[in-house]
Amino acid sequence: MTEGLTRAQRTLYSALGLIGFLLFWELSLRSGLLPGSLVPLPSTIPSVLWLELLDGIWFEVVRSSLSHYSVGVLLGSILGITVGMSAALLPRFNAAHAWLARLLRPIPPLAWIPFAIIWFGINPSAAAFIISIGVFWINYFASYSAVHSVGPGYEEVARAFGQQRFLARLTKVSLPAAAPGILGGLRAGLGQGWMTVVAAELFGIPGIGQRMMEASSLLATDIVVVYMLTIAALYATFDFLFMLVQRRLLRWQS
Amino acid sequence: MTASGMTSPPVLSARNVSLGFAGTSILAGVDLTLHPQEFVAIVGASGVGKSTLLRALAGLLAPRSGRVEIPAANTPDTRAWSMVFQAPRLFPWRRVRSNVELGLEGLTLTRAERRRRALEPLALVGLDELAERWPRTLSGGQQQRVGIARALAVRPRVLFMDEPFSALDAITRRRLQQELVDLRRRTEAAIVFVTHDIEEAVLLADRVMVLGGQAPDRPAGVVQTFEVPLPLDERRDHPGFAPLVQQVEASIGNH
Ligand SMILES: Nc1ncnc2c1ncn2[C@@H]1O[C@H](COP(=O)(O)OP(=O)(O)OP(=O)(O)O)[C@@H](O)[C@H]1O
Ligand SMILES: [Mg+2]
Repeated sequence: MTEGLTRAQRTLYSALGLIGFLLFWELSLRSGLLPGSLVPLPSTIPSVLWLELLDGIWFEVVRSSLSHYSVGVLLGSILGITVGMSAALLPRFNAAHAWLARLLRPIPPLAWIPFAIIWFGINPSAAAFIISIGVFWINYFASYSAVHSVGPGYEEVARAFGQQRFLARLTKVSLPAAAPGILGGLRAGLGQGWMTVVAAELFGIPGIGQRMMEASSLLATDIVVVYMLTIAALYATFDFLFMLVQRRLLRWQS
Repeated sequence: MTASGMTSPPVLSARNVSLGFAGTSILAGVDLTLHPQEFVAIVGASGVGKSTLLRALAGLLAPRSGRVEIPAANTPDTRAWSMVFQAPRLFPWRRVRSNVELGLEGLTLTRAERRRRALEPLALVGLDELAERWPRTLSGGQQQRVGIARALAVRPRVLFMDEPFSALDAITRRRLQQELVDLRRRTEAAIVFVTHDIEEAVLLADRVMVLGGQAPDRPAGVVQTFEVPLPLDERRDHPGFAPLVQQVEASIGNH
């Protein structure tokens, strides 16, 4: 449906939509249509952000969220890709783990919170653990199906040209052929990680989620919104940077 | 020139080979002995099992019964055999040159030597200018020529070619046919060449093997093998050429 618009027009309409939404929000509050206790005035957000920055609170909570986010995402991605690819490449391993995977897969990451606390205590490792679980499954399925669907044709070419050893096939066929799917899984995992970050912090691990809980108990909705936007911005930044990497790695595609 | 070849030991021998897939038998009783510098063409109707036979001769597919042997081994800088597949099957994630280098990896060649060894056959098929392109930016015929270069790069003792020129225009095809004739003179390579173009088979080969005789209940086999006793040069204009083409055609038509 967007074919009829030029790029500039699309940008214009997108900006108009966003500005219209903010204006409507601001005016509804100022005219008393919405009670000010439920949502903050959009125009106050920049100054609240500024205060959080001046206090150093913003940097502190973002730093700690980022630290268990990166550990969780890294761990979940590496394990997910390793197990997913192994399952697709090694029939015995695939069969051996199939039921276990089917049993564990439906358990939502947050259901692991009790064990996370028992195993790690209320500390960043627990949050990293929870985050890694969701990321693990996304990467596991993405890399499993990506490797699984590599046709036998490339494999035969590899064999015909003397690349029949497991490691050669892995690095010269399976990995590059499955790269689009694996990278897609990684990217989805980066997003999934942010979703669990906040939830994992709600039970007292320092970070963005904890700061939001604090603010909401004081009815400081403006601070809550500042951190909602912070998460959106962090997610967008990570996603954008990853997209650049992805595009570079897959430049052989159209 | 094949006379010298006849005296040396075979580079490929297949005895009583039978092939099939899950329950169905498609080819039975195929014998083939190939000496250095020999050129055998395999012709037959679509679906008769030419590609399958080629894969079995190369050892990519285990025969149901019978034996296939390629006694030659890889040397530090050549491979015993290589194949031009019916579809180019280039790795889309590798640039053209890197695709041609595939078979050179694992041989004892430096990067620079690999590069040179890849550019050589690329120039032969007229694509050295496109060496740094991605395969998706090439036409079907260009991709097929990269597939040919990839197979030539390893300087095989036995070269399997599955309809290598089918996607090419007449002029390019003529040129590459001539290149194959020259290749036979220059090197020791023996060639097994699948084609459905009977003129091409008679033009290039020492022997033309006709596959056929497939019936719903019976696997196909070699219906006839023709020797081509014509000189390689100007073969197309030789008075014996057209009659032989007709004979082969008739042989396929009867089965
Ligand atoms: N992987 C496979 N599984 C099952 N049957 C197959 C497979 N590959 C080929 N066949 C069957 O084997 C027969 C021979 O196929 P093959 O590709 O060897 O034919 P061909 O002579 O090369 O044909 P064409 O000239 O069209 O390339 C066909 O009937 C085909 O359906
Ligand atoms: Mg075929």
